[in-house]
Amino acid sequence: MRIDRRWRRGWPWAGLVLFLLVPLVQPEGFYLDLLMFTFMYAAMSVGWDIMGGYAGYVSLGHVGFFGLGSYAAALLLVHLGLPVFLTAPLVGVMASILGAGLGFISLRTRGPAFVIVTLTFTYVAQLLMLDLKSVTGGSKGLFLPLLDLPANLVIVPFYYAMLALLVIAVLVSVAIRRSKFGLGLIAIREDEGKAEASGVNTSLYKILAFAISVWFAGTAGALHAQYLNYVDPDLAFELIITLNLIIMSLFGSRGIVWGPVLGAFIIYPLSAYLIFLLPSRLAGQVHLVALGIVLVLVVMFLPDGLIRSYQAWRRKGPIDHRPVEARASIVEAAG
Amino acid sequence: MTDDLAIHSVAKSFGGITALSDCSLEVRAGSITALIGPNGSGKTTLFNCVTGFYRPEQGDMRFGDAVLVGLRPNEVVHLGIARTFQVTRIFKNMTVLENMIVPIRQLGLRTLFTAGIKGHERQRAEELLEFFGIAFLRDELAGRLSFGQQKLLELAAALMAEPKLLMLDEPAGGLNPVMIDRLTAYIRELNAGGMTFLIIEHNMGFVMQLCEPVLVMHRGRVIARGTPDAVRANPAVLDAYLGD
Repeated sequence: MRIDRRWRRGWPWAGLVLFLLVPLVQPEGFYLDLLMFTFMYAAMSVGWDIMGGYAGYVSLGHVGFFGLGSYAAALLLVHLGLPVFLTAPLVGVMASILGAGLGFISLRTRGPAFVIVTLTFTYVAQLLMLDLKSVTGGSKGLFLPLLDLPANLVIVPFYYAMLALLVIAVLVSVAIRRSKFGLGLIAIREDEGKAEASGVNTSLYKILAFAISVWFAGTAGALHAQYLNYVDPDLAFELIITLNLIIMSLFGSRGIVWGPVLGAFIIYPLSAYLIFLLPSRLAGQVHLVALGIVLVLVVMFLPDGLIRSYQAWRRKGPIDHRPVEARASIVEAAG
Repeated sequence: MTDDLAIHSVAKSFGGITALSDCSLEVRAGSITALIGPNGSGKTTLFNCVTGFYRPEQGDMRFGDAVLVGLRPNEVVHLGIARTFQVTRIFKNMTVLENMIVPIRQLGLRTLFTAGIKGHERQRAEELLEFFGIAFLRDELAGRLSFGQQKLLELAAALMAEPKLLMLDEPAGGLNPVMIDRLTAYIRELNAGGMTFLIIEHNMGFVMQLCEPVLVMHRGRVIARGTPDAVRANPAVLDAYLGD
C-alpha cells in the first residue's frame, strides 16, 4: 500500500527529472522536437480539460486563442523588440482576459451555444488576422527574428519552456481539482441546475475556468510562433489543433488531471510517426483521416477514456475493498 | 423582521398556458407549511419562481426584507432558502461527501481556491450524514446509492447551506413507509431547531400528520388555507381534486 502511494506520488517527479535531462544527452533532432510538441499539446490539453473535462463545456475555440497568442507575441517582438520568452505569459493573460470576455457573452447560456460561439470566434479571429494586412501581413504572414543561438541548440529553450508550461498546467489542474472551485466545476458538469440550486455561481465559475483554460493556449501559441519564426493565418488557426486537444483529452480521460497528459503522450507521437512514415503529399490527408477514425473509435469503444476505463476494470476485479455496509447498500439499490 | 416568505399576485405562463395567476401566499417562519393540489396546479412552478429558476411575469416575492424577483438561484440560496427537486437531483458521479460540500457557501473569489474539503466542513457533513443514517456511505459514488438513500442525501446536502427555509418538492415520493416515518421524524427535529419548511406533497397521510397550515393550489392560485382538518373538509378542495 505504502509502495503504491509512493509510486503514485513519485512517478511524475521521476518523469520530470528524466525529461529535464533529455536535452543534455541529445540536444537536437527528431525526438527532442517530438517531445517538445508533445509537451505543448499535453499542456494545452490539460488547459482544455479544465473547461471541457471539469466543467463539461466543449470549446472549439482554443485554437483561436492559440493563434491570437502567436500573433500577439509576434507583433510584440517585431514592433517593440520584446522577446517571446518574456511576453509569452503576458500574452497568455491577454488570452485569458479575452476568454473571460467571450465567456461573459457565451457562458451565460447552457448547451451547444458555447460550442458554436467558440468556433465562430476562431474563424472571426482568423479572418481578422487575414484582413488586417498592414499589421499582420495578411496571408503572407509575419516573419520573426531568429534567436541568437547556434542552429543546433535553438530547440533547447523551447523544449524547456514547453516542459515548464506542462508542469504549470498539471499543477494548476491539480490545485483546481482539490479546491472548492474544482468541486463546483464538476458539479456544473454533473447537473448545472442543481449546482445553481446548491449556491454555486455557475456563470462566474465557468468564466473563470475558461479564462484559466485559454491561458495555456495563448502562451503555447506565443512560444510556437517564435519556434517556427513565422506565423500566418492558416498555420496559427488550424482547427486540427483544437481537435487534437479534444481527442487527447477524450482518449486519456476527461476530467482527470493525467487523462489529457496520457492522451497527448500517446496520440501526438503516433500521429507524428504516421506523418514521418507516409509520403509528404499524402501525410496531411491521411493523418486527418486517422485522427477522425481515432475519434470515432474512442467515442464508440472507449467513451470514458483510458484511465477511467482502467479504473472501472480494476473496480470490477474479484476483491471488493469497500466496507461491508456499503456493499450491502449497493445490493439494496440493485434489489 | 422575521423570515417569512411572502408571495403576492405572482403570475407565470408558458406560451398560452397559464401556470400561475394572481398567486398569493405566506409561509410563516418556524412553520411546516404544506402546498398541495392536483397535478398541474402550479406548485412546482411556484417553487421554481421562488428559487430563481423562473422569473415571474408579475407580482412580488419577499423573504423577510429581501426581494426575490430577479435573483439567480445561487443568490436565493445565499439568502437562506434551499430546495430539493421533485425528481431527486444529486451529483451522481461525485462521492456522497463531495455532494455534501458543494452547497457550502463561498464568500469571495479567494475562498474558491481553498481546499475542497476542510476539516470543519467534513465534520459538519459527517454529522448531517450521521443524522440521516447514511454516514457509512460517505466515500461511495452518490449514483450507487439506493433511491431512498439518494433522497436523504439530497436533503442532507440542502442542509449544508444552513437554510432558514427549506422547500421540499415531494420528499415522500417513492419512499417506503419506514423511510417516510424516518423522514417525518427528521423534519420535525429540524423544525424544532427553528427551520421553516414548505413542502409539496401528494402523500396526504404524510401531509396531514406533519404539516400545518396546509395550502391548496388549483389552476395557478391558492384556493384554500387552514389546518389539515379544515382543508380536508373544504368543498372547494374536493372540487379541485375530483373535478367540477
